Amino acid sequence: MTSIIHLHSVPDPAAFSRRARGLMDHHTETKQQVLRGVFEDNAGIPRTFHGRGRLRSGAGGRPASRHPYRQRVTLVVFLGLLALFGFSFRMVTVDSNGPVAMQLAALPPDLLTEPGNAFPGSAPPAGTPSPRPDRGAPVTTGQYDAMLAHLGIPMADLFNLRIRTIVIDPGHGGIDPGARGRHGLKEKDVVLDIAKRLRDKLAGYGKYRVLLTREDDRKVYLKQRVAFAKEHHADLFISIHINALPAGSPDLDYVETYYFGPDADAHSLALAERENRDSDYLIGDFRKVIARIGDTLKTEESKQLAGFIHDRLYRNLRRLNPGLLDAGSKTGPFVVLLGVEVPSVLVEVSCISNPAEEIRLGKPGYRDKVADYLKTGIVDYLEQRARHRTIQRGTTEHVAEQER
Amino acid sequence: MSPSKKDNMLYVGIDLGTSRSVVCASNGNRKWVDSYVGWPKDFVARKMLGKRVLFGSEALEHRLALELSRPLRNGVITEGTERDEAAVHELIDHLVELAGAGPDEELCIAVGVPAEALKVNKIAIRNAVARHAKKLMVVSEPFSVAYGLGTLDNTMIIDIGAGTVDFCIMHGTVPSEEDQRSITMAGDYVDEQLLKLLSEKHPEADFSLNTARKFKEKHGFVGDSKRRVKIEAPVDGKFTEFDITNEIRKACESTMPAVVETAINLIASFDPDFQESVRNNIVVAGGGSQLAGLDTYLTEATKPFGPCKITCITDPLFAGADGGLQLAIDMPEEFLEKL
Repeated sequence: MTSIIHLHSVPDPAAFSRRARGLMDHHTETKQQVLRGVFEDNAGIPRTFHGRGRLRSGAGGRPASRHPYRQRVTLVVFLGLLALFGFSFRMVTVDSNGPVAMQLAALPPDLLTEPGNAFPGSAPPAGTPSPRPDRGAPVTTGQYDAMLAHLGIPMADLFNLRIRTIVIDPGHGGIDPGARGRHGLKEKDVVLDIAKRLRDKLAGYGKYRVLLTREDDRKVYLKQRVAFAKEHHADLFISIHINALPAGSPDLDYVETYYFGPDADAHSLALAERENRDSDYLIGDFRKVIARIGDTLKTEESKQLAGFIHDRLYRNLRRLNPGLLDAGSKTGPFVVLLGVEVPSVLVEVSCISNPAEEIRLGKPGYRDKVADYLKTGIVDYLEQRARHRTIQRGTTEHVAEQER
Repeated sequence: MSPSKKDNMLYVGIDLGTSRSVVCASNGNRKWVDSYVGWPKDFVARKMLGKRVLFGSEALEHRLALELSRPLRNGVITEGTERDEAAVHELIDHLVELAGAGPDEELCIAVGVPAEALKVNKIAIRNAVARHAKKLMVVSEPFSVAYGLGTLDNTMIIDIGAGTVDFCIMHGTVPSEEDQRSITMAGDYVDEQLLKLLSEKHPEADFSLNTARKFKEKHGFVGDSKRRVKIEAPVDGKFTEFDITNEIRKACESTMPAVVETAINLIASFDPDFQESVRNNIVVAGGGSQLAGLDTYLTEATKPFGPCKITCITDPLFAGADGGLQLAIDMPEEFLEKL
């Protein structure tokens, strides 16, 4: 099929031959032009030929100038940049009567007015139009950092991030020892120690209320753990466990982190079954909590929290234990995660059935490091969440302004 | 196939599609794979499957054990999704492997991608291909189809894919943005419509998006047809026969008004002196071109706007990759040196 050569009956064979040759030459020429076009497109060279057929103002079959198109592209890029900077401005716009604005007002004038330090969110006095160049000026991350450092406002507070209470749930306890190592080390003891260390580390930040679902070696049903989190208005819930493989399995050592989700592989289901024992949930209760699976916001947040904790824990523990495997951050149907209505994860720190790991877990220094890496994951998640909320706020306000 | 310009050069055409990806090489290799990439979810799955990554139908078959990605599912790599970007890398690695280059062979690759992906993800795709070939080109799918068919002048290509329908007018040069349109009412949309219609009419039967797609690919048609489409689907575990003629026709025709309107608008934006030529050279490519009765239906539907001659290509699966391969072979050496 071709649109180039339309064969039809020609009385003079010589004339036909000339015409066919002419058309073939034209086809070759067209092909060369196309090949050059592809080359220029891929080599980032502005195109020199623009073909026939497209609407053009000039006559005589000459290609139309592409400049209007380029100008349009330039205009679009320019408007895009303008919108971006406008967007950046909206991102950090604060209530001019709010506490943050009051603190901003107390900033030294040079921080607000010096071109290099210009902070576009600085609220002008009421009724004074803000000079446009300042509003549109690009802002670097360093400038935000400088502003925050000067104010001494934590990012989370500045953007009204309401994570105050973190509930840490050391798994098992009392008559339920959890997994047990070959030398007799019990999961319930290790996770309680790690949980207490984690609590102390997080409490050191001075801005979180950190609670444990059990402070000592006693049996706490899963339902009680969930109720504890609700009663104390938990904002984050982190359940700490230690894995174990059945006797006769290879001596693997791995980290895995779960957040609630119905999708799970056989391995996760088996683990969930083990961890869900003694949940003390009635079937009716269970149905109610199952109905909350559609709570995608919680799932999304939990997924992110799990990702941060898992990443920090695995990468750091790997340095201490090069044989450590990464079993990933994933979903699993754990009752304790389902019942809690806030971002919640279950961390299987390592594998106590691995004799070498059992020895490591028996050392306070190692448990302290584990607690430290868990803390890093949680704090990094909170920081990231603060940044994310900042962007979301900017987007919402920007759209609202357009709609007006 | 034209002979290679260099003995140690392997020319490769790749069609990176929403639904299927295809590779054709100058050594005669012609392979395709469903555009699915899957990584084992955990080490248990990895051990069971024995592979780091799975592709195409194999990935679909084991999807429960995999983190599955269909990287160009909307015609573009979804922005900010590392997994989709990684999937594109894996898919290109796999396609290059399927090309079967010898150990000493240098590669020259031309990749055709959905028109929207060319605008949005060109650099990402170039980077993915650049790991295998220093000489590479990324072009739009409809353009590579047109190049393969040799329809470079006054032709409109309508590439009906899974994620998008791409329209492109060829007028003796590489099409610019003004020469192209894309709509997202494409193959995936038809599948969703068909599933919806079937579920509404036969709520007792179990249908899935995957089965709807299979029914469409096997029985899809537009326009009048005397043939009845009968399929079997499970009802309470027992296979039962259903006549889905009306549903399949309605679903397949659901995108047609948008296709006709976009095609006519694009032709109308063209120089009036050449509009008639374009009307007489409308080529329909992509998986959607295989709907029975499509050429007749479109010819009838476009009649009110002036007579059009519409042809559906016979080998839509390989047309894009064949065009890419031809492009790579034809590219003059002096240009290749600089790419």
